[in-house]
Amino acid sequence: MHIPDGLMDPLVAAIGWIEFLLVLGAVMIVSGRRIRERNLPRVALLSAGIFVAQILNFPVGGGTTGHLIGAALFAILAGPALAVIGMSVVIIIQALMFGDGGVTALGLNALNMAVIAPLMGWGVYSLVDPVLVNRTRLGRSLSIALAAWASVFVAAASCAAELLVSYAVSAGNYGIAAPISVPAMLGYHVVIGIGEAAITVGLVAYLASVAPDLLTTAKTGMVAAGTKSILKSDTVKAAVAIVLIFVLVLPLYILYASAGRDGLEQVVAEADLEEGSPVLNAPFSYGKNYFETLLGGILGFLAVTLSALGLLRLLKWRGAR
Amino acid sequence: MKHLELRDVEFHYEDGTKALNGVSMALEEGDKVAIIGPNGAGKSTLLHLIAGFRTPFSGEVRIGGKLLDHRNADLLRKDLGLLFQDPDDQIFMPTVEEDVAFGPRNLKLEDIEGRVANGLRSTGIEALAKRRPHRLSYGMKKRVALAGIMAMDPKVLLLDEPTSGLDPRSRTELIKLLKSMNRTMLIATHDIEAAAEIVDRAIVLNVGVVTEGTMKELVTAKDVLENIGLEVPPVSKLFGVLDAMGYEVESLPVSMDQAVEELTKVIDREGKHLHAHIHEHDHTKGGKHVHEHSRGRKEESVVE
Amino acid sequence: MRIEHMSSRRFVVKPLDEHAECSRFGGLDARAKLVGVLVFVVASALLTRQDIVFVSLAMSLVLVGASALPIRHVAKLYLGALPFILLASLSFFLFSGVEKGVTMWARASACVLALIVLASSTQTFELFSGLRRLRVPAMLTTLLMLSHKYIVVLSDELSRMTLARRARAFSGGRNLLDRYALKVISFTAGMVLVRSSERADRVYEGLKAKGFEKDLTGWRTSVLGVSDIAFVMAFVAASAVLLVLQTEVIA
Repeated sequence: MHIPDGLMDPLVAAIGWIEFLLVLGAVMIVSGRRIRERNLPRVALLSAGIFVAQILNFPVGGGTTGHLIGAALFAILAGPALAVIGMSVVIIIQALMFGDGGVTALGLNALNMAVIAPLMGWGVYSLVDPVLVNRTRLGRSLSIALAAWASVFVAAASCAAELLVSYAVSAGNYGIAAPISVPAMLGYHVVIGIGEAAITVGLVAYLASVAPDLLTTAKTGMVAAGTKSILKSDTVKAAVAIVLIFVLVLPLYILYASAGRDGLEQVVAEADLEEGSPVLNAPFSYGKNYFETLLGGILGFLAVTLSALGLLRLLKWRGAR
Repeated sequence: MKHLELRDVEFHYEDGTKALNGVSMALEEGDKVAIIGPNGAGKSTLLHLIAGFRTPFSGEVRIGGKLLDHRNADLLRKDLGLLFQDPDDQIFMPTVEEDVAFGPRNLKLEDIEGRVANGLRSTGIEALAKRRPHRLSYGMKKRVALAGIMAMDPKVLLLDEPTSGLDPRSRTELIKLLKSMNRTMLIATHDIEAAAEIVDRAIVLNVGVVTEGTMKELVTAKDVLENIGLEVPPVSKLFGVLDAMGYEVESLPVSMDQAVEELTKVIDREGKHLHAHIHEHDHTKGGKHVHEHSRGRKEESVVE
Repeated sequence: MRIEHMSSRRFVVKPLDEHAECSRFGGLDARAKLVGVLVFVVASALLTRQDIVFVSLAMSLVLVGASALPIRHVAKLYLGALPFILLASLSFFLFSGVEKGVTMWARASACVLALIVLASSTQTFELFSGLRRLRVPAMLTTLLMLSHKYIVVLSDELSRMTLARRARAFSGGRNLLDRYALKVISFTAGMVLVRSSERADRVYEGLKAKGFEKDLTGWRTSVLGVSDIAFVMAFVAASAVLLVLQTEVIA
């Protein structure tokens, strides 16, 4: 989902840049010392490794392929902070060196794939793994799969949100109309997410058998001392990560609520459609509600997930006593 | 003051296994010493430990007389030149000359231009100055890495398997190069032949010091070497066979140079001829034992 | 998203800057190129009037021509960016009318082409160096430079690995349910990651062994010259023209 320049509404793109720089800046300041002391090459090499791993296309069916994003993997291997920095490096290199993704759109691309995706992946993994890993033999794999899938799906959802808000706010000059952007992004990435989940699970399994110290020292060596402590604080941090994603998407909703509806009405007006051509008209009536549906869906998904996990965590804690 | 001194150095890996056990050595200025051992013997670890990358360790390491510890590791490292086994681990810049300049620039040395030029010249790669390293062959990359180290003008060179992965010609050239250098160097290698050509003495390492001495001495300790999975160089083997066949070899040569030297001695001794004895054995009862003695063009048959 | 047909499988990462030396813009200061192209791209992204967008596209094409880059190279990269643009245009054609669809396509294309010229006529290290000199934090630019270097190294290793893989008659799998294919891919990716991680410690030592502290910078750094300034001014002027036209016409 590398968005090129000229596609997103300038205001949305600006929001993307501001949010990305804020998050990246904060992470760099907080983790700066830890990185500079020893981990600079490790982050660089992980970024390089994930970049190269992205080249390996996996078959989706029908002759098309998708590719790994690797955000969840990065977060599982190195923790959320370093994953944000490392994935940002990947996104920047893709844009500047390969023209994969624009520069005005870099803020949004990085927000989706280098902030939201790793945070989601890490958040889900941190929340789900302690619960599942002892419950069933495949517990670890399941939590990794869920984390990977969620990272892709939510990143795609935020991308869809950005597209449809762009469309609405700019009265049809930018972005992609909801009826196309939402099904396309979400539908495609439901499938891609499965591929990502499968490969990430396979990857971690490979690492566990070939280089297990990679999984432990990679994490403990680089994660700040605070997170090594009680499980509880990890949960809190993971929940915070997921909520943060929300907070990041919020401005888009506000923008939509304030300027978007008018824009969409303008689109309808300009589109000059015949009265009563139901096929073309229908999407417009849904279009206005698309964002709410999308947001509601994501909200619901997150709320259900968090509460279910919280519940499970509570049960486990009770059971352990 | 010794350039490099180790006393009873011990080091453990993270999982507790011992990597180095009671290693001691001393290098004066200009000494060239090889550390010979099989894979996994700890040769690389030793070099990296000397360079201050493996702390904590027990024992003492003195570089230029100063005692190494984790606080001054960065400082003492400035006098060392560590050549990595994989040149891609230490080539970072987009052109060769930029990479050779990288070390001196970081160390804030004077006359960067001159150092780069010297480094390139001493490794014979001036022609590659503006080339991109990643397109070069493995052997050339090794020379780029070496040039980068030389440009820093280190007191002690630490070379980690310098000849590994090189094709025969590159290997010969590198050996010649190292031989001609007038620098204190410690070479970790399992390529005994190469070591023999370059160094005066060697230490056989297998976690601990197995034995040490001049190359000639070591080569006679064939069993010791074979015990840890090493083999004497082909040249030595050949002369060992010849010795068993009746040649009196004063000492087993370990390198081609020494081999030629030895043969010259033998020729002089025997009066400018080489004798080759070929025995034909017939083990049947009453069989003949034919001994052919060929001396250049003259042939005699002696039947015993 | 990159949708590639299975037959066009390329595992070797060829950085764009292989043409940097022959491009006419190759010798310009990277900072000038970065600032100039970025100003132009930002301005172009703000355009919504179709006629002006085509002016911008024309400017981009002039830039491509002036750069003396091989057309095939530019075309290949442009095609790589096309799918997303086309998807957007498709939605426009359906819902906003042909006019807006074409406008969007032209606008995106103008920006993409300008960026292609920037990336292809600048050595990657110089590009990141230029960013550093434009005050981007050292941690980021050092990460960019190191990652770039090792992307090249790792992809070389990968292409050797996949050659061996293909020699054993593995051809990429049919669909997502092809478990064997996914397994092979994740194992290959795993190998890449293991190698990259093993290198990490050695690279740290390699850097320290050469006295590295925190910033990777070039040796002989360029100074801004007349042609650099002219380059930037040209772009600034062009962008100003575009914006003035855009806003005036609206008003």
